[in-house]
Amino acid sequence: MISATDLRLTFGKGTPLENPALRGMSLTVNQGEFVTVIGSNGAGKSTFLNALAGEVLVDSGQIIVDNLDVTRLPTHKRSARVARVFQDPLAGTCENLSIEENLALAIKRGKRRGLTSAVKKQYLEKFRDSLSSLKLGLEKRLGDKMGLLSGGQRQAVSLLMASLTPSSILLLDEHTAALDPKTASFVLELTTKIIEEQKLTALMVTHSMKQALEVGSRTVMLHQGQVVFDIAGKDREGLDVKDLLGLFEKQRGLEVDDDSLLLG
Amino acid sequence: MLSEIAFYGALETGLIYGLVAFGIYLSFRVLDFPDLTVDGSFPLGAAVAAVLILEGWNPWVATGFAALAGMAAGAVTAILNVKLNILNLLASILTMIALYSINLRIMGRPNIALLTEETVLTPWYSLGLEFHQVPVILFLIVVVISLILLWRFMKSETGLAMRATGANARMARAQGIATGGMIILGVALSNGLVGMAGALFAQSQGAADVTMGVGVIVIGLASLIGGEAVLTPSSVLRALIACVIGAIMYRLAIAFALNADALGLQAQDLNLITAVLVTLAIVLPGVRTNLTNRFSRNKA
Repeated sequence: MISATDLRLTFGKGTPLENPALRGMSLTVNQGEFVTVIGSNGAGKSTFLNALAGEVLVDSGQIIVDNLDVTRLPTHKRSARVARVFQDPLAGTCENLSIEENLALAIKRGKRRGLTSAVKKQYLEKFRDSLSSLKLGLEKRLGDKMGLLSGGQRQAVSLLMASLTPSSILLLDEHTAALDPKTASFVLELTTKIIEEQKLTALMVTHSMKQALEVGSRTVMLHQGQVVFDIAGKDREGLDVKDLLGLFEKQRGLEVDDDSLLLG
Repeated sequence: MLSEIAFYGALETGLIYGLVAFGIYLSFRVLDFPDLTVDGSFPLGAAVAAVLILEGWNPWVATGFAALAGMAAGAVTAILNVKLNILNLLASILTMIALYSINLRIMGRPNIALLTEETVLTPWYSLGLEFHQVPVILFLIVVVISLILLWRFMKSETGLAMRATGANARMARAQGIATGGMIILGVALSNGLVGMAGALFAQSQGAADVTMGVGVIVIGLASLIGGEAVLTPSSVLRALIACVIGAIMYRLAIAFALNADALGLQAQDLNLITAVLVTLAIVLPGVRTNLTNRFSRNKA
């Protein structure tokens, strides 16, 4: 279980560019939940994810992951509990390392790294098994450089890497946004498959309301650095994008003027 | 043509600079950390080894301490960068400048002669090998051992973490790698190799001098880039072998240039030749690709 309580973070404090990104954000995600997160540009989605991952430290508030207070811990000390897939397909993998080396990095996520060989023989079968589940033929290309793969293939491998070792939460930061529609739906399908099979707890940021309602078990909308609504279970079933917008306007008494939310 | 002495001399220094090139490969290529500390850690290694040898220490132990001193210098540069957030290039320049004073302090004078002292080479001369080949054989052994150790290290879990740190720091952090620690370790290792090279250089030349570090970074880069131009560094092993090939090539090229009477070059032209060679090494691979493209286009 992860819980974030009253997170506050302001970028560029005391400068003309002062930007309060998180203004008292609170969210609790239970074990096994798959939460989709939506919100317009500047709502604080990415900042929230970065705060959970440790890439930015919050000014105040508390983040607890499986009974451990990680609020002040840097990224690498949280990594045993927090797995992550980035929006940019190039960011989640190392292009000048081979596929097996990338996977070998991931299998040691959050663990001690010693002086024994990184790509061990006993790993290879596991690597081949998980790669063949992608049905991209990558299990035959373990020694190939990551840079030779397409964006979609690299994003699929990033997903594998994030799920290779257990984590308390998997953070997905608009991880299909940079892909073409066909590849995006492939990666999204793969995401739901992996999350279901391994019963992962996941938080997926998306720009598309449609996507947010189609996958996952709970949807959270952020606005101006806060959670404006949070629906799950029966309330969420049968909801469409229009309902969601109506809900948003009712909650805030605001007009949604961001087209991207409607079009996505 | 080259005399035999000049040829072996070029091989000897080339092998020592192979170690420097390993160090520069680690910092510039693996960690993407432009590190100029080497101009200070090379004479630092020489100074430490020379002083300890004068004190009567075993020359190998002295060389080991020279490597440790180099590592300490590298660690200082990396800590200035990682912990105090000083730009990497500037941090290395600060350490390099500081080392000039430190090296003078260590030696107590601008240079120390080692001609009459026992060095790592001394026992090898009694083995009945040809006089000029002795340093070449010994340094070849040192370089091969270093290469194998370094290669194994780069393939290890920690080595892989170091490569990821240089290639994609955000991803490395997300995989639980303490990137700051990796930079400190890597730059320290790099300068440890350079310190060892300085110690061996002082012993093979018979003297340590406070100015012997000037331009080491350029020569090391020349070796690295030259080697990469000859042997594409598609794997760690190839990249390391390229370092050695590049360093020897560079030394041979210098020896040829200085020995060819027709060119009329003299020893004081060394730095100019170095600059020209580095420029050629950087530009030529591009020209080659250009020409190949042009020819293949003509064919099509």
